Amino acid sequence: MEFLTALSIGALFGIGIFQVLRRNLIRSAIGLILLTNAVNLFLLSAGAYDGFVPAYVNAPPGTASDALPQALILTAIVISMGATAFMFAVMIVISGRYRTSDADQVNGLRQ
Amino acid sequence: MNPSQLVLLPILIPLTGGVVALLLRSRPRLQRFWSLGAMTGALAGSLALFAEVWERGAPVVCQVGGWPAPFGIALVGDGLSALFVVMTFIVMVTGVIYAMGSRDVVVRYPAFHPLFLSLAAGLAGAILTGDLFTMYVFAELLVISGTMLTAASDDPFGVEAAYKYYYMSLTASFFMLLAIGCLYAAYGTLNMADLARRIAADPSQPLLLPAVGLLTAVFMIKSAVFPFHFWQPDFHSAAPTAVSAMLSSVVVKFGVYGFFRMTTLLFVVHAPTIRSLLLVLGAAGILFGGLSAAGTRNLKRMLAYSTIAQVGFILVGIGWGTRMALAAAVVFAVNHSMIKAAMLMLAGAVVSRAPVKSAAYNVIDGIGRPIFGAKLLFFLGGMGLAGIPPTNGFIGKMLLFRSGAAEDRFGMLVIIGAAGTLTLVYTMRAFQRVFWTPASEEGLAKPVGDRLLAPALLIGLVVLLGLWAEPLVRCAGDAAQWMTTPMVYVQAVLGG
Repeated sequence: MEFLTALSIGALFGIGIFQVLRRNLIRSAIGLILLTNAVNLFLLSAGAYDGFVPAYVNAPPGTASDALPQALILTAIVISMGATAFMFAVMIVISGRYRTSDADQVNGLRQ
Repeated sequence: MNPSQLVLLPILIPLTGGVVALLLRSRPRLQRFWSLGAMTGALAGSLALFAEVWERGAPVVCQVGGWPAPFGIALVGDGLSALFVVMTFIVMVTGVIYAMGSRDVVVRYPAFHPLFLSLAAGLAGAILTGDLFTMYVFAELLVISGTMLTAASDDPFGVEAAYKYYYMSLTASFFMLLAIGCLYAAYGTLNMADLARRIAADPSQPLLLPAVGLLTAVFMIKSAVFPFHFWQPDFHSAAPTAVSAMLSSVVVKFGVYGFFRMTTLLFVVHAPTIRSLLLVLGAAGILFGGLSAAGTRNLKRMLAYSTIAQVGFILVGIGWGTRMALAAAVVFAVNHSMIKAAMLMLAGAVVSRAPVKSAAYNVIDGIGRPIFGAKLLFFLGGMGLAGIPPTNGFIGKMLLFRSGAAEDRFGMLVIIGAAGTLTLVYTMRAFQRVFWTPASEEGLAKPVGDRLLAPALLIGLVVLLGLWAEPLVRCAGDAAQWMTTPMVYVQAVLGG
């Protein structure tokens, strides 16, 4: 299980970074979403293998899992969801105004 | 009220104020005055916290929800954070005053004032929190409100600038989460005081070094330090004036605050490495920002590039890392916030009178000539930015020079001396073009524009703090003394 988690975190990071470096704005935004999920999985693995019984139930001492990483991920997911929604909203305005999703052509400020 | 709960005021007042302002959206006049009242209340709250911290002579800690420190969230007001929060709200109050007298379309949107208040709440929260994850959440609040305010700008390129900044900030917050994960995996805590104690006890964890590197990158993006600066001039010059004055003065100070905490509290073990990096990048930023500011043909962009240079000065102070240099960096940071906010407001006041809404020199040449008040204020502000007495810019620069001379860092002193002269060159060139030469086409300028009350207040404070600098210098000295003895912070938070 640990090996599988490590593999999927690595794969998500790799694909995410590849997508972030693309020139298309939408693809790079998707890359950022993948990266956020990779980080969430990483946070989970930071505390997931301490114990296998859910926290806050009547578990014998020392077997309950760490609840904090899960709380952190919950917050991070909500924040990244809002952030992604807002990012795509800004992108709609940009693609309407510039008629393109190519990052090289969104350059009104450079001129 | 329990005096330790004073830490809550600078966060809660703007946050509730923003919510109530949202309810007042159909009554714009009432909403504006409510927003001003809420921001002034937050300033009063932060001043009360400041007074309490200095009266007690120890950090004021609020354990939220009554959970003791390593388990609950601690909000900490120590010398550094109390001073930074007071600075934030002084500038933010003038920002609201400027917005009330501004002719931008943006400030009449019903969401403007709620977003402005949540920007203030995010900044105050990020500075006052004693927990890394809470800092991440507040930083995200700060980023989202700042981006929205910019995307709604009158400037046609506001959306583009906002997207660039937003993308960079999301990358930065992704790095921050990664660093948080590394630190939690290695030390099992996210409370800054607890982390400081555990890292000092066992600095050999393999995940510590990645966390240090990632957090350095995060704060560099937030404060637009030299290699991470590229989005900053676009963003800060495209935002509405009332907002860009906040972004380029107090919001970049969040990154600076992060460096203060990193080198003096969290990663004292790795501090020499971080400090030498800050020295190199600070010097590069001073030169690059100064030269770019001298080369650009746009008033607002010039001021935004100048921020890169001025943040470089602060980083050099943090990089020297002695008690005197840290105090100098704190004084410099406080002074720069006021001067830069006032200068951007004056630039905005001139631009609002221009025939076309643009801050390019060839549009606003000579527009400021008939406005005597703006001319005088811009001259004083320019002297402050360049560090000429009787303004407080001189005090900051003098302290920085003295702390460098005490350490025999003469090579760096030559660089920052030369860059200081460059500051004089570009501010006085801007003054000459905008306020001195006759306009190329007379009569095109609009007769009315943004009011000058807010920059006048700030410049008044700039001159006052230049003539009577002793209280600020003493507070900064105390803050630096607390910073160099991190045990004070750790004991205040964890007790015992």
